[in-house]
Amino acid sequence: MIRFEQVSKRYPGNANALETLSFALAPAEMAFVTGHSGAGKSTLLKLIGLLERPSQGAVTVAGRNLAQVRRRGIAQHRRMVGMVFQDHHLLLDRSVQANVELPLVVAGVPAEERAKRARAAMEKVGLGGMEQRLPVRLSTGEQQRVGIARAIVARPAVLLADEPTGNLDPQLAVEIMGLFAEFQSIGTTVLVATHDLFLIKRIRKRVLVLDHGRLVDDVSATEVAA
Amino acid sequence: MNARGQAASRRGAPARWWRAHRWALGQSLLRLRERPLGTALTVAVMGLALALPLSFYLVQVNLDRFGQVLGAQQALNVFLKQDQTQAQATALARTLRADPAVATVTLRSPAAGLSELAALQGFGPALAALPDNPLPWVLVLRPRATAALAAVSTLATQLRGNSAVALVQDQGPFRARLDALTDFGRRVMQVLGALLALAAVLVVGASVRSDIQSRADEIHVLQLVGASAAFVRRPYLYAGLGLGLLSGVAAVILVLMLEVALAAPAAQLDASWGGRLGFAALSVTPLLVLLACAAMLGWLGARIASARHLAAGEPN
Repeated sequence: MIRFEQVSKRYPGNANALETLSFALAPAEMAFVTGHSGAGKSTLLKLIGLLERPSQGAVTVAGRNLAQVRRRGIAQHRRMVGMVFQDHHLLLDRSVQANVELPLVVAGVPAEERAKRARAAMEKVGLGGMEQRLPVRLSTGEQQRVGIARAIVARPAVLLADEPTGNLDPQLAVEIMGLFAEFQSIGTTVLVATHDLFLIKRIRKRVLVLDHGRLVDDVSATEVAA
Repeated sequence: MNARGQAASRRGAPARWWRAHRWALGQSLLRLRERPLGTALTVAVMGLALALPLSFYLVQVNLDRFGQVLGAQQALNVFLKQDQTQAQATALARTLRADPAVATVTLRSPAAGLSELAALQGFGPALAALPDNPLPWVLVLRPRATAALAAVSTLATQLRGNSAVALVQDQGPFRARLDALTDFGRRVMQVLGALLALAAVLVVGASVRSDIQSRADEIHVLQLVGASAAFVRRPYLYAGLGLGLLSGVAAVILVLMLEVALAAPAAQLDASWGGRLGFAALSVTPLLVLLACAAMLGWLGARIASARHLAAGEPN
């Protein structure tokens, strides 16, 4: 589903954020990307979401080399990728429900169905009853869950999450990861960037370890369990 | 997506298109309502910019009318020599009526001329003191509306060479000067109209640009969840269209107010010309054209501003 081939990313004036990175994720596979701050976790996710282009190498998603996706195709690509961001990226003047519905609005889903699916997504992340609240009135953890609900509401083929549980209490973090695993079980490829080792050990999925932009370890789910 | 899924997606495309436009329209109305002062100022400035060319057009229409009235009065007054008799004057009038450049020839007798003169204030006693009528026979020639100015001038020259004619008064050069003046006025109006239309585009462009800048985060979020450039741009285009339309309405109201304000002095001027000027108000057609142009200019301003600012922020 996702393939990196000798991918490097250099930001102007900086060292390589990613260096000759190669790995592949099968459809419906879930994996963690871990490493210290600045290891390149966020950059890796940004390349998959087409928020950035690689400086070198090829990133392929669902059989499509993203280098061939022109400006007009970026939106279409992003509609099949759900993204959860560290800094939430919510519309603070819109209700929680309006935020969660946004990918469905973009996809042209009818209003009734939008509301139904948004409520279901909010229930799943524990935001039931908060539909009409404004994000500014929510805690950071609740805002994070709004971001997660928005990422899963359109049932994307690929789900990317950048430190999705950083602001959640451990119990809720495990529940959210369980939710991601649920999505994996229905065919979604899930890639989660985190440095929460407790969570990695608890969830027991494949782990890609980055260090200074290089892939230094690729640990399978069974090895993690062991 | 399999073939069945693709077919279903194609079938649902018009409904999706309609929903996207309805959403965009709702968003644009929300934006205009959220900034009432900004919206009112934009509409006022753009309305004023559009009212000016429309006012010029109103003036131009009436100047053209005025020119036509003066043109209709364009006549050759042919004063015959004192020794010319009624029979000779009638014969010359008959000859001139056959000229293709001439519409009508009116024969005015010395007696009729004298009574017209006597009717003018202060001339009566002086004329009564005269031993006999000193006025000659006069032929008043009105050229056809289609007659070229040159043809009328040639006719005047020919008449001046006629041994029976003492004097020919030709108003043609005055008409030529008036035509040149109205042509100049029309060109000035076109240039100013184009400049003010450009100003209207810039006003809407600036308003939309500031709206886009204040909503940079929202645009970024929309792009992240897969909104196409057209989807993101659409609310701004509707807002531009709405601003243009509102400004058009404001311009129409301003010009109608101008018409009302000028009605009394125009009626006075018309009365002094014996009701021949008949000042024209704007008809519905130019007002509708203005509304359509205003909406289009608003859309254009929004399109230019959004294209420039939305292109940034996406990877090349």
